[in-house]
Amino acid sequence: MSHFTQPLEYVGRPAQRVDALDKVMGRAKYIADYRVPGMLHARCLRSTLPHARIARLDTTPALRVPGVRAVITSDDFVDHGLYGFPVKDKYMLAYQKVRYVGEAIATVAADTPQAALAGAQAILCELEPLPALFDATRALDPDAPQVGPDRKNGNREHPNLKSDHMLVCKGNAEAELADCPIVLDRRYFTDWQEHAYIEPEGVLAIPTPEGGVVVYAPNQSPFINQNNLAMVLGLPINLVRVIQPTVGGSFGGKDDIIYESSAQAAKLALVTGRPVRMVFSREESLVASYKRDAMHMHIRLGADRDGTLRACWFRGILDSGAYASETPFTAWRASIHAMGAYRYNACDVDVYCVYTNNGYAGAFRGFGNPEVCFAVEQTVDELADMLGMDPIDLRLKNCLRLGDETAHGQKLDESMGLVECINTVRRLSDWDRKRAEYSRQTSTEKRRGIGVAIMYHGMSLGAEGADYAGATISVLPDYSVDLTSGLTDYGTGSRTVFTLIAAEELGVRPDRIRIQRPDTNTAIESGPTVASRTTVLGGNAMRAAARNLRQTLDLAAADLLRCDPQQLIRVGESYVGPDEEAVAWEKIVDHAREMGLILSAHGKWEAPKIVWDHHHGRGTPYMAYVYGAQVAEVEVDLRTGNTQVLHLWAVHDIGKVIFPQGAYGQLYGGITQGLGYALTEQITYRDGYIQETNFESYLIPTSVDVPEITAQFVESSYSYGPYGAKNIAEPSLVPTAPAIANAIAHATGRRVRELPMNLERVLLGHDLQPPASRDAAIRGVWMETRSMPQTPAPAAPRIYA
Amino acid sequence: MSAFDYVRAGSIEEAVALLGDPQWVSQPLAGGTDVMVQARHGPVHFQRLVDVSRIPEMKVIARHGDEIYIGAAVTYTEIMESRLLQETATCLVEAARLVGGPAIANAGTLGGNVGNAAACADGTPPLVCLDAVAHVRNLAGQHAVPVAELITGPHQTALQRGDLITHFTFPVAPAGARSVFLKLGRRNAQAISRLSVAAAGALGGNGRITFARLAPGSALSRLRRFTEVETMLIGEEPHQALFEAAGAQASHVMELATGRRWSTEYKEIALHGLVARALRAIFLNPEN
Repeated sequence: MSHFTQPLEYVGRPAQRVDALDKVMGRAKYIADYRVPGMLHARCLRSTLPHARIARLDTTPALRVPGVRAVITSDDFVDHGLYGFPVKDKYMLAYQKVRYVGEAIATVAADTPQAALAGAQAILCELEPLPALFDATRALDPDAPQVGPDRKNGNREHPNLKSDHMLVCKGNAEAELADCPIVLDRRYFTDWQEHAYIEPEGVLAIPTPEGGVVVYAPNQSPFINQNNLAMVLGLPINLVRVIQPTVGGSFGGKDDIIYESSAQAAKLALVTGRPVRMVFSREESLVASYKRDAMHMHIRLGADRDGTLRACWFRGILDSGAYASETPFTAWRASIHAMGAYRYNACDVDVYCVYTNNGYAGAFRGFGNPEVCFAVEQTVDELADMLGMDPIDLRLKNCLRLGDETAHGQKLDESMGLVECINTVRRLSDWDRKRAEYSRQTSTEKRRGIGVAIMYHGMSLGAEGADYAGATISVLPDYSVDLTSGLTDYGTGSRTVFTLIAAEELGVRPDRIRIQRPDTNTAIESGPTVASRTTVLGGNAMRAAARNLRQTLDLAAADLLRCDPQQLIRVGESYVGPDEEAVAWEKIVDHAREMGLILSAHGKWEAPKIVWDHHHGRGTPYMAYVYGAQVAEVEVDLRTGNTQVLHLWAVHDIGKVIFPQGAYGQLYGGITQGLGYALTEQITYRDGYIQETNFESYLIPTSVDVPEITAQFVESSYSYGPYGAKNIAEPSLVPTAPAIANAIAHATGRRVRELPMNLERVLLGHDLQPPASRDAAIRGVWMETRSMPQTPAPAAPRIYA
Repeated sequence: MSAFDYVRAGSIEEAVALLGDPQWVSQPLAGGTDVMVQARHGPVHFQRLVDVSRIPEMKVIARHGDEIYIGAAVTYTEIMESRLLQETATCLVEAARLVGGPAIANAGTLGGNVGNAAACADGTPPLVCLDAVAHVRNLAGQHAVPVAELITGPHQTALQRGDLITHFTFPVAPAGARSVFLKLGRRNAQAISRLSVAAAGALGGNGRITFARLAPGSALSRLRRFTEVETMLIGEEPHQALFEAAGAQASHVMELATGRRWSTEYKEIALHGLVARALRAIFLNPEN
């Protein structure tokens, strides 16, 4: 039977988020709510120096502290707990050296959080300071202090070079620039950003009678955690089980730091034979966790006098701190997007990341693209100013269109809605009238401005790695439908997306469906939950699983109704055969069971192969792209630098929208995070010491800072996406900061080339820094974790049975 | 979190007795919006908190003749909802509206704001602008100190162990006087003031300025009225150039007092602008 021609019943229609009620009713339990009998509390000893040799580490005094049950160091892990992908450069606890303030050195388990803290403070740890490196632009100087690990096997690269040079090359950009009548040469800087997930890090590890461990961890990718744990604990993989509880936000931030905490708690659980929980305070979270990298950028754009872009030359250095985490991938994604969504005759991009002793950087929503978009979208605007052209007209003249080839050499032959995004946002924002009106202001007190930024964003992992996902689906004895996905939902809404897809394919109501928490014992490994890949990868896998189960049920229905499957039609959930009598879905399920059919299925989906030549910077870096355009309207106080964003318009091409409220939620949330990135969120490492360790100094937007947002989607169908869907999570924030920057420049006539565009930068053109202090960082290292009120234990893991 | 004892006082007398008990190092607790943060950050100097937040006399807002009376345990929410203060102390009501967010405004008190004496406090510049006096009780009796003298520096006051601020009084401003409070923060709520300005003023029958008060916050290490600016306004006709000159003078006063600090490059421009804007709002834009 053909159900493709029928209108979609659940996909693309308003739906209730599957976890909405649990969250608003307070029923959702987070790690800090979990308590199990006999549970110990873990606490880390952390470095208070940015770079030091561990001269002495004696844990025996900690064991004499009343209530302390165990202490572990890197010696307690296989190979000292060395882990990391793509670069194996970090230890589950520091080994021989510490490279940033806040790095974990030892972990104590005790009866109470207070005893654990006292134990950590009792450890004898002598740190011998090493010369430290804080300036990323000097990291590769011959005399720069060495932060990165020693090179091996005759590799002569500077040890502080963390990644390869990520290249994009088309033609001869230098020659093309030399031939351009207009060349802009600009430098930009984007600062560190904290994820600011409302739930700080936490983990609960429970030893099993078989000698294994069950770890409840709000990580993004439970299978990576499981693999790391098996590796550093020396356990067979099937003795390590990772379950993801409700996650209170992540935004890329709950990878490595959670894997480390998991390994520490799991080892302590194995050593003590008791459950061990570790929960961070906000201060400990800010000091210890990784951030969005800071990026130094140098861009040259060449154009003709009529505004035709001809060449882009781009150099970028990511200050990604003490360890690699995922930043080599960030650098690669930054390189691919550095030239923006434009056509060029020639392009020359070179981006790399370096080691410093400024904390460490890792994955963060947007993953390199917000950084480079801030640079290229402002430079394009400056070009428009120089030429006296309207910024949107200049973009329309040069932006990528259907059938174009990107600077990398990729032909864009489908799902290309950029021009429609730009035209729509122009109309919605009343751009032309406001642009003209605000250009005529004369007030010396406050002025308004309106600015635009456009973007494209490669879908999923691209050339970063194998791109696949799996899903399972079963009918349970009570006729409910059970789903698992190897990709997780840390607030993105993907569980609802999967539910709607399964409902659509099976032809059953969404309220019949329940989706399991991600659990390495039940779900199929699906790669990491990153890169906004869940809807497309996980959605296609879920669709495949549901179709497989549907085939079995159709077979049973055909048998019961004595017809060919092609003769069946569906009325609601019921099946109708040639005799036109509706048979309830439950009856079909019963009959299938009587036939001996297995009512469970799995599905897997692999992304189309992509080709990328790292050495020549050419290829098809991603299977496809999402597009977007945002317009910001601001009012700038010329006497104080205070910037109010009055309105934001966002139009994004994300392919078919599967879960509308979820998609809008992602867009609003991303814009809000982009607003903070633009104006107020500032992480400052001074001599390696973070200055902002709570939300009184790290300023995320409040409800009264967020402007009215008008959002719309362009649904240019993508043939490989489920129902034509693409993705939205990361791209939502990419153009926000540059749109605001362009609006500020329109209002004031002055350009701010550094983030965040705080009061000082907007008023003076440069930042001011108070005297550096180590106090906040050191206080954060030792901040007591608040003891949580007693709450019921989570659903008992089956391993106790 | 530090360990300490807690006791709630039902009356001013009881609170003073508890605070004056030599066996304990006691600290008054009102809304707790500062004390609890300090206790979380590390060891505290007190052994016991004496909760004064529910003492009825300390919750009063009243007018006694030409004087306004505000109990020290009055919250920002109570200030912003008071008709009396809306009419007689606009700058204080506006400051209360700009404090933190609703949770802070519901808990935090004026007495606590003065006792904590943060340089960036929002409640203190209006009090200084209004020439408010703090009334302090201890076992020895009662005395009155101008708020500008009580606060001696950032987180420093003339309060002694055993002292309790019970209430504030300030004279009702001359007829026709208006006051404003402008705050400059890094975001629109839950923001620490980078700068603030409390200002008041009135025009005489001849259209000239007869009454002018100016008290910037987060500008000096010791909060005070900028009389150097006030005197240049008195007797003048209100106009834009005068206000700009007053703004420039305010920045000059700030720089003389603090020297050039890391933030001066920014604050001298911003304070100039805020002062000029505050004076314009008082004298030129009666609707604003």
